Amino acid sequence: MKTLVIIPAYNEEENIVATVEDLRAHCPGLDLVVVNDGSADGTAALCRRRGYPVLDLPVNLGIGGCVQTGYRYARDRGYDAAVQFDADGQHMAGYIPALLAPLERGEADLVIGSRFLDKEGFRSGAVRRLGIGFLSALARALCGVEVRDITSGMRAADRAAIDFFAREYAQDYPEPESVLAAGLSGLRIREIAVEMRPRQGGESSITPLRGVYYMIKVSLALVLGRLFRRRIGHAE
Amino acid sequence: MLSKNAQIVMLIALAVYTAVLFLLLRQKRLTLRYALLWIFSDILMLVLAVFPRILPWFAGLVGIYDHTNALFATVIFCLILIQMALTSAISGLSEKVKTMAQTNALLEKRLRELEERESKP
Repeated sequence: MKTLVIIPAYNEEENIVATVEDLRAHCPGLDLVVVNDGSADGTAALCRRRGYPVLDLPVNLGIGGCVQTGYRYARDRGYDAAVQFDADGQHMAGYIPALLAPLERGEADLVIGSRFLDKEGFRSGAVRRLGIGFLSALARALCGVEVRDITSGMRAADRAAIDFFAREYAQDYPEPESVLAAGLSGLRIREIAVEMRPRQGGESSITPLRGVYYMIKVSLALVLGRLFRRRIGHAE
Repeated sequence: MLSKNAQIVMLIALAVYTAVLFLLLRQKRLTLRYALLWIFSDILMLVLAVFPRILPWFAGLVGIYDHTNALFATVIFCLILIQMALTSAISGLSEKVKTMAQTNALLEKRLRELEERESKP
């Protein structure tokens, strides 16, 4: 399976090298591309210097538009699968083969790396866990999408999911919305257990105030998504 | 009914408004597409100013006691309509900008690869 690892990076000068080297050490057979989201620091220059493939966005689009660039690239170059992998050091490359396994067996179109299936590794603070639990429950109630860690940014997509994300992908705080949209459009979603680390350097994009905005925006997006989308039966 | 003074002030204000609108349109600093709602509001206000009997009739119809409040309500309605049109236009624009930024990044990478291949042999 021709697989691309998409690494969205916004001001990740401190972490990007460790992330890419982690990937190269654990998954030497996979192609990767760093999508630089108009970083103000030297992320793009650093990647060029070290010879990493870079998609360089001229302006900052936010995580949604950034990741979508990677999916468009995967579609244009005919990749069979794409893995989304954070640049900040939270994701562990050792789990990528496990993430790809259900795609290889043709059992799922979208595989999500979940922190909550096994109780191992870093699982973020209690408040954030509560928020994630609420959103996951909402997605289950509204759309029957059964995903525990709906905000996880670590996922693997097959061709059908790549095509879907290349066409439409939510813009800010896109993870729950995109899972929901994928589920409603009939893509088969599977969740597997992964461990994550706390971020290694730099700053998280989610502050307490943004956390409130996050919850409101994502909840609303889930409700509207349910209202506006025609549900397509799962092809099983 | 509107007082004579209010009517005169309103007409003067509308004359200025119309003049500015036409000036902007003539200098092409305003596309007709987005000016339509402004023109529509202009005409609505003009009708209300020229025929002052409409306002009390309308106020009675919808149950507003003070006629000037009916005027304000109409103005606010026009403004909200224009705001919504603007928000919708911005949403469309940001979608287009996003797609173009992405296409630019994809093309830039292809160009870079081409240049590297050219410079090698």
